[in-house]
Amino acid sequence: MAPKLEATDLVLQYPSGDRPVIDGESVAIAPGRVTALVGPNGSGKSTLLRGLADQLPPRAGQVLLDGRAVHRLGDRELARELGLLEQEPSAPDGLTVERLAYHGRYPHRGRFDPVGDDDVRAVERALSLAGVDDLRDRPLGDLSGGQRRLAWLAMALAQDPDVLLLDEPTTFLDLRHQLAVMDAIERRRDEAGTTVVLVLHDIEQAARYADAMVVLSDGAVHAHGDPESVLTPAMLAEVFGVEATVEPGPHGPQVVPLGPDGGG
Amino acid sequence: MTDSRPDGAVEAHDRPDTARRFGWIDRDLLAVVVGGTAVVAVATTLQLSFGSYDLSPTAAWRTLLDPAVLFDTAAWRAFLLGATVPDFATGTLVVWTIRLPRVVLAVLVGANLAVSGAILQAITRNELASPFVLGVSSGAGLAVLLTIVLFAGLLPLLPLFAAVGGGVAFLLVYAIAWQGGTSPVRLVLAGVIVSSVFGSVQTGLFLLIEDIGLVRSVIAWTTGSLVGADWAAVRMILPWSLLSLALALVGARELDVLTLGERTASSLGMRVEAVRFALSGVAVLAAAASVAAAGIVGFVGLVVPHIVRRIVGSDHRRLLVGCLFAGPALMAAADAGARLALSPAQLPVGIVTGLVGGPYFLYLMRKHGEFGGL
Repeated sequence: MAPKLEATDLVLQYPSGDRPVIDGESVAIAPGRVTALVGPNGSGKSTLLRGLADQLPPRAGQVLLDGRAVHRLGDRELARELGLLEQEPSAPDGLTVERLAYHGRYPHRGRFDPVGDDDVRAVERALSLAGVDDLRDRPLGDLSGGQRRLAWLAMALAQDPDVLLLDEPTTFLDLRHQLAVMDAIERRRDEAGTTVVLVLHDIEQAARYADAMVVLSDGAVHAHGDPESVLTPAMLAEVFGVEATVEPGPHGPQVVPLGPDGGG
Repeated sequence: MTDSRPDGAVEAHDRPDTARRFGWIDRDLLAVVVGGTAVVAVATTLQLSFGSYDLSPTAAWRTLLDPAVLFDTAAWRAFLLGATVPDFATGTLVVWTIRLPRVVLAVLVGANLAVSGAILQAITRNELASPFVLGVSSGAGLAVLLTIVLFAGLLPLLPLFAAVGGGVAFLLVYAIAWQGGTSPVRLVLAGVIVSSVFGSVQTGLFLLIEDIGLVRSVIAWTTGSLVGADWAAVRMILPWSLLSLALALVGARELDVLTLGERTASSLGMRVEAVRFALSGVAVLAAAASVAAAGIVGFVGLVVPHIVRRIVGSDHRRLLVGCLFAGPALMAAADAGARLALSPAQLPVGIVTGLVGGPYFLYLMRKHGEFGGL
């Protein structure tokens, strides 16, 4: 059973910032489901994600993983249960896809442990889920942006966490690679029951793939629920400032933007 | 959590090379090991044969492999523990107590500088990093000079003082370059600032030394020199070298993960600040030991990791082991050149490494328009 991830009264602020980005929000993430964080630029999506992953210490409130405060867990212990993939990580160009994926096993291996069978299995599974089997011996420097993103996703999957947090995994990718990323995430959820939280820029993509959506507006949770209940013309006008209609489609609600709100 | 995953049997060919116990030792690494060893052997032959007491290369090697010395515990006690050297023939004494320690010291210094550079490049994610560029060498150098001038009684602890000086300089550089993170160019500039300030203080210290002969040798030392190397110098740095090199190898996987960036390393469960601090300490210790023995030898710590990375890739186990062979090769060859090129005059070895390393640095800058990212 996937663990429950929740934040209570979370206040997040960067050391250099003069006011909190997230100011006292609570959110409970559905276990074993894909939850999308959406919101306009600067609404605090990535910050909330980093807060959930204990990469940004909270000023107040806490993040609980199965009832345990994440900042009390050891760093490796947490990394075995919860993984975070940053938006644009970078690695030496000479690193091969397979070796990158093996780095995902870091929290599972003791300092002098050789690579074990479970490491090999996790990496093989991750490479095939992310569809980078064929690229395993290629250095990252030779890959396209989309292939590289999939290689990083393979690393995060090899980490084999129960909760996987992804920061804009599809932004700047061509359609094919966007689909490959979302497909890998859905299969991972279905096969391993992994809880996934991802920041998405594209609202329609979120509506199509996510089981639940959290809408952030100016550092506050504006709405949280399944895409059908969250995606309304009123929300789009209020949060995104666009005038749009929402129509039910075969793959979830479809947004038809008409123009910037209040412009007419 | 893994229950629902189909567990296929793991077959041998599924494992990456690096997962097998010795699988990470590949052809490229072997080439570096064999090549490095060969260069050291040639340099050793030259160093042992030539000089004011000429020996043929065969005679030199026969003396070196002489069982009467090789299996003499009294001799080894003299070399490694500082006891009195037993009575040997002149040729044996020249080879074993004058020429060999110089080669051994060159090997140790080369290994230390190369490994130190490899670590600093990984933790700063900057291929222009090296103990010389990041001010570690100048900090260690200043500490050594202060010790020589002011506290001559504490010479056996020289590597430790040097490490403190190098560590302080490194922290200063990091602090100057830090603006919510560092960039390769800012680190290099900060290194230049700190090095030039420390260099001025060093030069100022020369004025406090009254003995002109000492000033000459100190100046040679600040460019890096192995003139007058003896077993005492080897004894002084051997333990620190072994310690720091061993710790570096233990930290190889941490270095690999650090090159993925601070944030990735942290979300993989690494305590980045602690690990980076510990590994910087190892790098500073290695560099400081070499500075205490040979002065400020430039470019070895920059050039060697870079060349080795080109050959064996970015895996740090391979890179560090490669550095353990390539560093000594460069240093031993450069010192043979420094001692023998203008014989009987001797150049400081740092001049030779500078002549080789400077152009290489230039080539790096030219090649990478946007320079420094690892």
